[in-house]
Amino acid sequence: MQRLSSALFLLGLGLLIAAIFRGMEFGTAAPIVGQAINSAAAEQVGAANFVTAVVLGYRGFDTLLELTILFTAATAGGLVLGKRSPTAKRDPDAGFILQAGADLLFPLLVIVGLYIILHGHLTPGGGFQGGVILASAFFIPILARPGTRMSHAAVSTIEGLAGASFIFIGLLAMFGGEAFLTPLMDRGELGALLSAGSLPLLYLAVGLKVGSELAGLLTHLSESEAVD
Amino acid sequence: MNQLALLVALPLITAFLLPVVNRVSTLAARWVGPLVLLLTSAIGISLWPQLGDSAVAVELGGFRPPLGISLYADRMALLFALATSIGTLLLWPSRGEEWLRQSTLALILAASGSGLALSGDLFNIYVFYELVAVVSYGLIAARSSAGSFAATLRYLIVSSFGAALALTGIALVYQATGTLNLAQLSRLAPTHLNNLQGLSAFVLMLIGFGVKAELFPVNTWVPEVYATAPTRVSGLLAGVVSKLALLIIVRLLVLVFNQPEALTVMLVLGMLGVVTGELAAWRARDFNRMIAYSSIGQLGIMFIAFSIPGEAGVFAGLAVALHHLVVKPAMFLLAERWQGSLHRLAGAARTSPLGAALFVLLALSLIGVPPLPGFWAKLLVMVNLMAQENTLYMAGAWVIMGGAALEANYLFRVASSFYHRSDEQSSPAAHRTRDLATASLLGAGLLAGAVLIMPLADEIEGIASQAASKNRYVQTVNPEVLP
Repeated sequence: MQRLSSALFLLGLGLLIAAIFRGMEFGTAAPIVGQAINSAAAEQVGAANFVTAVVLGYRGFDTLLELTILFTAATAGGLVLGKRSPTAKRDPDAGFILQAGADLLFPLLVIVGLYIILHGHLTPGGGFQGGVILASAFFIPILARPGTRMSHAAVSTIEGLAGASFIFIGLLAMFGGEAFLTPLMDRGELGALLSAGSLPLLYLAVGLKVGSELAGLLTHLSESEAVD
Repeated sequence: MNQLALLVALPLITAFLLPVVNRVSTLAARWVGPLVLLLTSAIGISLWPQLGDSAVAVELGGFRPPLGISLYADRMALLFALATSIGTLLLWPSRGEEWLRQSTLALILAASGSGLALSGDLFNIYVFYELVAVVSYGLIAARSSAGSFAATLRYLIVSSFGAALALTGIALVYQATGTLNLAQLSRLAPTHLNNLQGLSAFVLMLIGFGVKAELFPVNTWVPEVYATAPTRVSGLLAGVVSKLALLIIVRLLVLVFNQPEALTVMLVLGMLGVVTGELAAWRARDFNRMIAYSSIGQLGIMFIAFSIPGEAGVFAGLAVALHHLVVKPAMFLLAERWQGSLHRLAGAARTSPLGAALFVLLALSLIGVPPLPGFWAKLLVMVNLMAQENTLYMAGAWVIMGGAALEANYLFRVASSFYHRSDEQSSPAAHRTRDLATASLLGAGLLAGAVLIMPLADEIEGIASQAASKNRYVQTVNPEVLP
């Protein structure tokens, strides 16, 4: 019975999608909003990377929510993941090559991550991408030496303050009588490192939050006990 | 009116900072969440008189729609945003071992629920909807039992499937119109979406958003989740979150998909929901599952009501929805001590007389016994269904009648068993004071509604006529006309 109803449901869905595709001509989308943004973004937002103009400017509210989804998933994961008993055994440290490689990689990854975050308004990349690289910079040493502990207090403090500062920058605009998340400060010269107003600050907050969150979640995963 | 954004921003910033606050002071971390929700409720209430007959729109980031995202608040949107804040406050998670994480999630639920009610942009609505989904996974699994993990996993799969469908629908709308702003969509819909593509986009979104609104084919997660999740969370999901999903669908119907076929699809799915939900509730032998199935039936009535064209449909649907919003959380609060088999509940009135009395009151209103508000809400739906003079709508009315008969049968069966003398010693434990106080508050609200039914009905009719006006929405948001 259950299989029959699933089959019927899928059949209906398939017919629906077939009907949709039949009526649609290929490549006829009407990108009115896209074109309007292309012609207005440079002047209105001042970010050379128009994707960033959309992500943090026009649709900054969506980005705040994406950030929250990540935070929520990490929190919910923490609820579900088991706790480690203090007597549980840890994996032994990795060999010399992996340990030396991890030490070498750490500064490089931090620099690349920060570069990608700070240039998010100019070149492809930004807070989310750079944040992931930052997280891996801090997680790889733990893979090489499972005995070392990351400070949960520090990670969750950075995470909380970074997320709060994103919202705080948005609220600052409201104190000035403008709408929530209105970009602040001078837009500057298009393409300069210091341009696009408060957008780089927002991306820095995103990068730190994403980085600390992922690092925290990964260590939490690696610390939860494996069931034999 | 910029303060509207605070309803989302304040709970979010608190949720982000809660772990940091907890390092400084556990006492502060325990109290800051409820206090912030009190504050947002106060902000919402203070905005209410300003709305009066007009609606307001906020252009987030200072960008004019359709380039930027806009928030829109008429009295209906503000009412549901308020219901989310107050509902989360009333059903604040109990103090367990994981209170910090649960409080964080509850705050995010309050923020995302308010945002869902206020948002005026289709994609923004989708993101809020996803956020509500992820928060509910965490809250449902909080009991960390094998059963709750299994239920959460099923919910996760059904919900992701729904989200994918909704996203496909949104993509279809964007393909046809090139915009995501609801006000601009409303302008473009008569020329761009009044066709098969528009209808299929609506059906995809109906089923997608319908997952949270317990719509007929995608409600398989309901019984397991409500039976295994913490009861306060079940109350929030069934009481508040389901209405928010419904609110989106109603907005889409009023503004964008003004087609008779769309209403018919909703009517038929609603009827199937009532039939399957009430029959399953009638057969259920477990308290939580019974009220879970009954909630599917009630949501079905709401879908039927909202499928009535025009202002009358919004009025009738809103009345049923608000009634359910008060009754269902109270039912789930009572379920805290009455989980498990119905046989166990014989003689429950002896250990918990107030709880049993409350259950009888809620059940009577749910069935629709005059003079309780549930009766007037159902009457309104029936009268408007009959007025359509259409066989299908008539069938809807009969389905609701049949559902009410079944409801009366199983709810009275349970209520009467409360007052039977039980031979066994194992009567269920008495309710906790906090649960009973909250449930009594909701019950008192129900009684107040019964006394003040006339002014209440006028108010709801005013809210509905405001919400049913497409022109008001478009004029208030006033999106830029792009070439």
